[in-house]
Amino acid sequence: MVILMGNIQEENKNIEHSMKEVAYNLLKNKEVDLIIGYAKGTIPLSSSPSFIINQKDVDNLIWDNLCHVNLARYVVPPITKIIDNENIPLKVGIVSKGCVGRSLIHLAKENQVNLENIKIIGISCNGIINRKRIEKELGEKEIIELSVMNSEIIAKGVDFVKTFFFDDYLNESCKKCKIKAPPMVSSQSNVIVGGSVESSSGEDDFSDLTEHESKTPEEKWQTIVELLSPCTRCYACREACPMCYCNLCFVDQNKPIWFGKTTDMSDIVSFHLVRAMHVAGRCVACGSCSSACPMGIDLTFITRKLEKIVKQRFDFTSGLSFDILPPMMTQKMNDKEDFMIGEH
Amino acid sequence: MTDKILKKEEIEKFYLDLSRYFNFFAPTKENGNIVFKKITDPCEIIFDFLNSKVPPKEIVFPRMETLFTYKINGKEIEIEPVNNLNEKYLIFGIRPCDAYSFNLLENFFASGKFQDDIFIEKRKNTILIGMGCNTPRQTCFCTSLDHGGHPHRMDDVDIFLTDLGDKYLMRSISKMGKAIIDKLAWLSDAQRKDVAKAVELSKKAEELIKTKVDLENIAETLKPHFDHPLWKEISENCLGCGTCAFLCPTCTCFDVIDENDHYNNRGKRIRLWDTCQFCIYTTHASGHNPRKSKIERCRNRILHKFSYYPKNYGMLGCVGCGRCIQSCPVNNDLRVIIHKIKNLEKEKIEVKIIAT
Repeated sequence: MVILMGNIQEENKNIEHSMKEVAYNLLKNKEVDLIIGYAKGTIPLSSSPSFIINQKDVDNLIWDNLCHVNLARYVVPPITKIIDNENIPLKVGIVSKGCVGRSLIHLAKENQVNLENIKIIGISCNGIINRKRIEKELGEKEIIELSVMNSEIIAKGVDFVKTFFFDDYLNESCKKCKIKAPPMVSSQSNVIVGGSVESSSGEDDFSDLTEHESKTPEEKWQTIVELLSPCTRCYACREACPMCYCNLCFVDQNKPIWFGKTTDMSDIVSFHLVRAMHVAGRCVACGSCSSACPMGIDLTFITRKLEKIVKQRFDFTSGLSFDILPPMMTQKMNDKEDFMIGEH
Repeated sequence: MTDKILKKEEIEKFYLDLSRYFNFFAPTKENGNIVFKKITDPCEIIFDFLNSKVPPKEIVFPRMETLFTYKINGKEIEIEPVNNLNEKYLIFGIRPCDAYSFNLLENFFASGKFQDDIFIEKRKNTILIGMGCNTPRQTCFCTSLDHGGHPHRMDDVDIFLTDLGDKYLMRSISKMGKAIIDKLAWLSDAQRKDVAKAVELSKKAEELIKTKVDLENIAETLKPHFDHPLWKEISENCLGCGTCAFLCPTCTCFDVIDENDHYNNRGKRIRLWDTCQFCIYTTHASGHNPRKSKIERCRNRILHKFSYYPKNYGMLGCVGCGRCIQSCPVNNDLRVIIHKIKNLEKEKIEVKIIAT
């Protein structure tokens, strides 16, 4: 459940204001060379990742419940500039909601990011609006303006105004999110602005999976096939994922071809399930994959289950601390292996 | 004038009469998205739609298409061509921008030295029943294109429909369209007021298109700017996914693969949609990639549509449907990109740092 402290819109405005101030000072004091944040989108329900190097452009930054892209995706491989034929890494300030911060921590553990070059401009996030769901529910009515007021999302069109209850129309991953702001891993790299940095406490709630788990294997398979059937293999999910940084994805390997590249259901399902396995114990549940999918497939439906398995078997939540090694980066003698043949 | 009226309650009859001869494709809803699909029940048709998510080009140029199958017998290879090329298709409700895009597909597949038999056959067997847009999207910009793009453009279809509320005004455009309408003897004649209303709706639709994109001499503007830092700027937030290309009605690139069934000594050759936005699109066998970063790949997409395409075929490679604007995950808006390009002439674009 999303706990809201007062008016969402007002809270976002306050965060936006402090964020701009921090970004401005970071650039002014030359603590960073570049700020990666969000700018206003050109169409309703959108936002656009923005790269800012001049203090005067800081005013373009925004923060609202539509800033869906996981910006950690832009710093692997590191952003560099060429000075005297040498690649010098830039100091980058990244506007980070909870999941972006977690991604950066996890990527640092995988040696993909050097946090010394990163300033995490941490902000507290209320959750990202599930724009695909709103679009689908409005059907063939075009939204011209979208705003958040109190606890409602208001969608306006030429001849309609429709309201949606904020908590219900968040991305599925945001509904259960407990880590609203980037975890404090080193005081050096965290600049938390606005809102509360406290994460809501309590046990992780995986009750959303109960219904699917009660199904028979055949029914589960059917659900997955139906979920993925609109896939066009555009790989927006993979490209939007901060953890999918491989130089050559398994599905692109063609010497030999490992995976079918067709839009046959068997190929589509194997791509998505194998990709999900590759992000197991690494996924930070940012929902960037679902937000990016042009066909509106909620891919977090698959990663959510992995999140639960990793939590239950290894008591691990990705991107929370530097001290605990992720389960896929370590091996213990008492690791549960009850999926292996012979232990049943 | 042979304008006819098709009442909305007569759609079932219309479908039953035509589905005997054609695979009847129409806009329908699947997983919350509008798609052009072969329908088996006229109830499935969605009449009130803006446009489909994936363009109807997928009917003549599917995401995945078997080119031929083969059997291997020792050193002998026996090739069996695909044999469903005599099927007839009818696309009901295709929007004017998408109908125009079929001309562009034909440029690529059916002109010049190498022609694509499969596409040509399919296209020949496809009837387009277009439908004017009474409520264009905010992102539509067909009227900015020099081919005379219009939400009620009729030139590229066989039969054109205008939604008059409870009925359609039906106009035959091609000979084939006329032949079809003549066969449907039960259609009533249009009244003068119906035609007048259609004209009025067409004007109104044109006025509703607020987006104006300045595409005048865009190919000329682009020519000297191949190495301009602007390409870094417009590509810096690009994710490198294929959304823009896969939802584009004019993109025609495909990849060809063999699916080998080693155990049964047979296989099939398949073509799949591909896009210049993927890093492996231009990767050579040696590993060298001439378009090594997204700067070159984003540039190629724009240059192909607005510079190479006009050079090769004398027309722009864009129809103004706005799908890429609607669906880009990072809102890398084509209208903004074109605006920046047009401004190159006027002002010096600031050099910015990019993410690779």
